[in-house]
Parts: sequence; C-alpha cells; structure tokens
Amino acid sequence: MTYFDEVAETRSRADLDAMQLERLGLMLPHAYEHSPIVRATWEEAGVHPRDIRSLADFTERAPFIDKETLRHWREDRRDPYAGLLCVPVDDVTTILSSSGTTGEPTLQPQDWGASGGPVRAGLSRDLWMMGMRPGDRVMVVIFTFRGPAFGMVQQFGAVPVLCDYDAGDMIRFCELSLEFRPTGLYSLSSMIVHAIAEACEQGGFDPTDVFSSYRAMVQAGEPLGARARGIVDGWGVPLFEHTGVGDVGTAFECPEHDGLHFWEDDTLVENLDPEGTEPVGDRERGELVATALVNRTTPLIRYRSGDIVRLTRVPCPCGRTHSKLWPVGRKGDGVEIQGRKILPIDVWPAIESVDECSRGLFQIVREAPQMDRLRLRVGYGPGCADRLGAVRDDVMAAVADLLDAVPEVELVPDADLLKLGPPHKIPRVAPR
Amino acid sequence: MTATVEDTRPLWGIAQYEDGTRRVPWPVSHAEIERAMGGAVSTLAGLGVTAGERVLWCTLLSEAAHFWPLLIGSMLGGAQFSLADATAPDALRVGMFVRQLEYRAVIGVNEAVLDGFDELERSYRDVFGAVSIVGARPGAYERLTAVGLTPYWFVLCGPAVAMATLPGGPARVDPNEWALTELDGRIHVTSTQPRETAFDNTPTAIRGSLVDETSFYPETGAHS
Ligand SMILES: [Zn+2]
Repeated sequence: MTYFDEVAETRSRADLDAMQLERLGLMLPHAYEHSPIVRATWEEAGVHPRDIRSLADFTERAPFIDKETLRHWREDRRDPYAGLLCVPVDDVTTILSSSGTTGEPTLQPQDWGASGGPVRAGLSRDLWMMGMRPGDRVMVVIFTFRGPAFGMVQQFGAVPVLCDYDAGDMIRFCELSLEFRPTGLYSLSSMIVHAIAEACEQGGFDPTDVFSSYRAMVQAGEPLGARARGIVDGWGVPLFEHTGVGDVGTAFECPEHDGLHFWEDDTLVENLDPEGTEPVGDRERGELVATALVNRTTPLIRYRSGDIVRLTRVPCPCGRTHSKLWPVGRKGDGVEIQGRKILPIDVWPAIESVDECSRGLFQIVREAPQMDRLRLRVGYGPGCADRLGAVRDDVMAAVADLLDAVPEVELVPDADLLKLGPPHKIPRVAPR
Repeated sequence: MTATVEDTRPLWGIAQYEDGTRRVPWPVSHAEIERAMGGAVSTLAGLGVTAGERVLWCTLLSEAAHFWPLLIGSMLGGAQFSLADATAPDALRVGMFVRQLEYRAVIGVNEAVLDGFDELERSYRDVFGAVSIVGARPGAYERLTAVGLTPYWFVLCGPAVAMATLPGGPARVDPNEWALTELDGRIHVTSTQPRETAFDNTPTAIRGSLVDETSFYPETGAHS
C-alpha cells in the first residue's frame, strides 16, 4: 500500500479547494468572534468573514498578521497569548512554547481535550509516506518542550524508543539502535549527526551495523550542511527533510525527495511576494503565508511567517496531490554587501569546507541591512585553539573563493554558538 | 523477572531508568502508564494542586515514562501544565514561564537547570520565590535549600517516581505500585502490579533512609 489514507492524500485540486473553503467558512467566524487580534485586524481592514465567499475572496481581501503584530499585541496589552486565544482560558489544558531561535520563546496554549490529544492525524500519513509501519519501533531523539513527539509514533501504532537530545550522549543512541532495531528515526540535526559519527568512533560502533535496521530518518530544524549530509549518506538510510509550516502545520519529504508535502486539509498556504501581496509563480521564491483550518484554540489567519520557500501545487509523481514546498531561508536573514544580497545558505559550504569548522556553526553579523564588508562569526571545534590564526585565514580564503568577497571573521568555540539556540538550530544572523 | 500483561496494544514505549550504575532501557506498557495517571492525580491532589492552577514540569525525553502520567494527571485534575527540558540551556524557558504566568508548582528541577540559572546570573530566589511548590531532585534540593528556599523532594527512584507532600517531608512512591527496601544505604524498588518489566529489589541510583515501605529521605549531598 502506497498511502496511509489514499482518499485524503490524493484528493483532486477541486476537492481540496472545496474542503479548504468549507473549513475556512467555519474557522473565520470563529476566529473573528473570539480572537481579539483577528477581530481588530479585520475591523481595521474593513472586512468581515461574511465577505469571504470563495478562496479568491480570501486571498484578495483577508488582512495579514505577522510576527511583529503579535509581538506588539503581546507587549502593549500584556496578553501572553498575543490576542490569539479563541477558547475560554479555563479550557486550555497545556501551555507549551516556541523554540525561541530568534528571541525569547513565546507561549502556545493548547486544548488537548477538544482536539482529542496533542497529535495531529496527518502525521500518521507522514510516517507511512516515509516507509514506517504500525508495529515498528521508531527511535525518537528530540527535546521535550514542544510536547510529546513520541505521541505521533504511538498514534500511528508503532513503539517509540526514547533517547535524549543530548549530543554528549549519542553512545546511548548507538546502543539503543543495536538493541531495539528501530526502523525509523525522528530526528536529526547537523549537531546530532556529527555527535553520532563521533560516538561511533569513540565507542567502536560500526555505523553500518548501528543503522542496519533503519528505513527512514527525519531531519528537523535547519537543513543539513553538505558535510553532515555526506556523513548521513554514508549510513545508507534515506533521509527525509521536515519543517514547520508557518507555525500552523508541518511538512515532510516524500519518497521522491523533491519537496516537502504539507496537508492542505489542515493548513491553507499561500506563497507571496515577500515585499508585497501578490502570489509568486510556481516553484519561485516567496514568503510562506499560512492559515489554520483545524486549530480552533489559537488559529493564525493569513500569517506572514517570514519563511522564504519555493512552492508547487503540481501533483507529485508519488501520487499525492497536496502541495510541496522547499525551505530557502528566513526573510531578512540576508545582508546586502556592496549591493549584493548574501544569505546564510550562500556562506555555509565555505565554512564547513574548513576542517576545524566542519559543524557549520556560524552567524552573519549584520549591524545594518547594507554593509561594506561581510562579517562572520564562525565556530571552531575542540583541539585547534593553538592555531586559530591559520583557521581564520582558511575561513577567509574559503569564503573569498566562493563569494568573491573577503569577509571579516571572528572565531569562537562551537559551544558558545550552540548556547545561543534551541538544541536543533542557532540564529544565523546576529545584530552584533 | 518478566510478567506478561494482558494487553494486545503495542508497548507504550521504551524509556529509561537509572539503576545506580547506568541508565537501563525500560519497556513500558500502556496499562502501566494508565495506572500511573491515576496515581498522579492523587499525588497532585495531595500536594494541594487544584483545578485552574498551573504546573511546570522539567523533564527529559528518556524520562517520559516517569513524567507522562504526571502531565496527564495534572490535566485530569483540571490544572494546566507546561513543559521545559531539564537542561541548562532550557533554564531560559523555565524563567520565561514563571515570569509570564503564575505557577503553583515547578517540578523536576535538577542541577542542570540550576546551572543554567547560574549562567544566566539569575538567583534561585528570584526565579522560584513566587512558586509555592518547587519539586527538586537530589542535588538541586540541597542547592535550593542552601539559599533559603523550601523545596519538596522529587526523586526518580529507578522506575518509580517519589514526591514529598510537604517541604522537607519524605519522598513517597505510589503505594499501589511499588515497595521500597534499603540495602547499604541504597534504595531498592519492587513492583507490586503486573508490568512489562517486573522489578524485584532492583537497585536504584538513590541513596537514602527508609521511613516506611513507600517513603524515604534521600541522602543529602550524595549527588552534588
Ligand atoms: Zn510526493
């Protein structure tokens, strides 16, 4: 069987549109009625949910909300839920928080009673899509603060093997893999990939043996750099990229490994000109704008995520009709150096080509949107503190070679940069 | 050592517990977790946590079989709960929660979280001063006591969870599930209900002195 839920995963575009419109018809009056920030935003725009009779009405008329609007609401009105809470506060069962990569974590109230639990049904489709099956064991390596990731494995009918997201403890990952022979792994980041490789070396584990039972591994957080990707390729297990969809949904790669599907029955996504309101073309870079179709606790409506993606609605060769996206970066993550836009993704290969900086931990230091010279803060691994001058020269040469621009480079220990982020990623642009 | 539990569902999961020498993989059934949820409701009621109040749990994923029943138990009792990792970097998150919202209890605080506050140069009194129940693990308990706070013992005692119902009082396991013994100053645990993995005088990482078959005082200073 190719699909976990063939009907849901292969609906025609017309069916998907009809379903989205029907769900919008329920969600918009609910959000307008109960969410103070949605009400204020729509009133200010002079739009009412009854004005929205088609998806075209929605994309032409519905006003946007962005991170800044939410932050202002949170701070100015001292509302920790940023005006998004649509249920009585007594109905909230659980208050989780965002990862906080680019600032302090923000609160995420949830109603596990009303939603039937903490895990969305679409995740079972994702696990099946990647080759896992009910009855399997699935290694779960993740932090806990986002909630029970292991719940998606249990809901699917598989057994989670629980391992702390601790780069210093990956020998345990190897031992658990050998003892319990999981078929799936959720989740890898560059940091964990390097840590597993080191644990195999230190503990005398043969990676081929450690990974022999796995059929699928999920990468979450930042895309892996080429170096980490090379290590994973050596393990011989298909890697599936995974990302969040505008704080509303999630997206996973399918076996075609050409884009990440998200489920359009729970998330309505537009891809718009980052500086405007018009949609960009199929597979062109744009800003992901997301609307919740199912989450009635804190629904985001036309949320400009700041995530730059490419997106296609063309049905995938895998047979799934739901759209796919490719993450590109964050809006505003770049810096303009003498008129030329440079993104972290542009610098990355040069940094990790230097052995001492192979973990690819670095930040663009952006004191202003436009600067004369590229400034980088670059992490180095243990054991090279006595030759930092040479390491700096190597980094400068590698970047100059790739980008034709000689950067200023400040070297710091990898550990200092890792402290700046949640465990699976770091802020790639720093104001100073 | 292994008892068969009549349950056709797959395992709840494979978590871990500490036996004094290492962390041991621990297969757990759904039935065990469901029984523990009932015990957790009583534990929280015994602490005086009531509907409408909030509890923040500091946890690690490998400890999910210990904590998951407690989280759901807080929810079943009508309290709201939040989650932070019991790691130094996540001290930032613990601090964010208790600053923005009122928490009746913060439970599972360990030495790593306190190390995180040290790095942030936040005093423990400043962070926890307004929280009436701080459930602290061995090591963290002593450090909080040293600055004049009055934490409650919270102990992962092998596969069992032991929590005090009074500040400074003994930590107690669920009497319907566990019996404790002490051997050479080390707490051992025996399971009294059917489990995927049965425990029979299994050593734990916890040193302490028994008060009775289900409660004990951890030895202070044994973990710092
Ligand atoms: Zn596909």
